[in-house]
Amino acid sequence: MRPAGRAFWTGFALWVAGGVSAAAAAGAVALYVIFGGAFDAAASTPHLPIVAWATHVTMIHSVRSRARAVVAPRAFTAAQVAAGAREYDQRCAACHGGPALARAAWAGGLTPTPPYLLDAARRWSAPELYWIVDNGVKMTAMPAWGEAESRDRIWEVVAFLEVLPRLSPGDYARMRGTTAPTAPDPLQASQPAPPTR
Amino acid sequence: MRAPRRLALTGWGLLLAASLAACGSQEPTPAGLGDPLQGRFIAMREACGSCHAIPGLQQADGLAGPPLTGFARRARIAGMLANTPDNLVRWLRSPQVVVPGNAMPDLRLTDKEARDVAAYLETLR
Repeated sequence: MRPAGRAFWTGFALWVAGGVSAAAAAGAVALYVIFGGAFDAAASTPHLPIVAWATHVTMIHSVRSRARAVVAPRAFTAAQVAAGAREYDQRCAACHGGPALARAAWAGGLTPTPPYLLDAARRWSAPELYWIVDNGVKMTAMPAWGEAESRDRIWEVVAFLEVLPRLSPGDYARMRGTTAPTAPDPLQASQPAPPTR
Repeated sequence: MRAPRRLALTGWGLLLAASLAACGSQEPTPAGLGDPLQGRFIAMREACGSCHAIPGLQQADGLAGPPLTGFARRARIAGMLANTPDNLVRWLRSPQVVVPGNAMPDLRLTDKEARDVAAYLETLR
C-alpha cells in the first residue's frame, strides 16, 4: 500500500472546505430566517408550496402513526351521531363548515385554512379522527379538544364525522335545528355508520 | 391562453356588462373575468380544495365535490348551467340558488371575488 499522495490530500482538503462552506451557508440562511425576519409569519399570505407540503405531509404521517394506539368502538349509535351533530354545530362548524354551510368569514383568515370535512371520514379512519380532535394539530388553529371535552363527547363528534360524507344538506339543517332547504334532498338519509378501516 | 379564446371571453364580458348596465345594476362591473392569480389565492383561502380536486393547488385533493380538472373545457357547471363565464360567476356567487339543496355552500363571494375565481378556473385546461 503506497502512502496517500499530494493529490489525495488536496482533494480531501477541497471536500472538507466545501462541506464547511455548505454548513456555513445553511447556518447563515437559518440565522437570516429565524433572526433576520426573512420568514413571513403573516397568516394573510399563503405558505410557500414547499412549507405547505412539508408541514401537511408531516402532519398526516404523525397522525397515522400515533392513532394506532386508539381503539374505536365497534359501532356508533344514532344517539351518538345526534349528540355529535350538536357538538359539531357549536364547536366545529365555524371553522370547518358543513353541507351547504359556509365557514365563518374569518376562517378564511387562517393559514393553513381549515378544511371542510365532508370527506374527512374518507381520508381518515375513526381512530385517526379521534386522535386529531383529541390532540389538535400544532401550527394550525386546531385545538386539542381533549383538554376541554370528555372522551365520550369526542367519540360522538367522530360518530357524526363518519356520517357526514352521506349527510344531505337538508338532514344537516334539520340536525342543527334550522330550516331545511326547499328542494328534495338528493343525498341519502343519515344512518349511524360503523367505523371504517 | 390562445387569442380567439381571449377574444371570446372579452366578448362575453362585454355582453354581461351591457346586460347588467341595462338592468341598472349599482355595482360597478369590470368587463369580463377578473384576475386569475387573485382567484387562485381566493380558491386557496376559501378551502375549495378540501371538497374539490384542483390540479396545481396546495392540498386540493377533496373528495366531496367533483374534481375541477380541465374545468375550462367542461361543458356544464354543476350539471346544470352551460359553462360560460357569466354562468360561472353566477354559480360561484349563488350555488344554492342554481341548485337548491346541493352540498356547496354559498361562500358569500363578492362580484369581484367571483370574477377572480372564475378567471382562475378558466386557466384549468
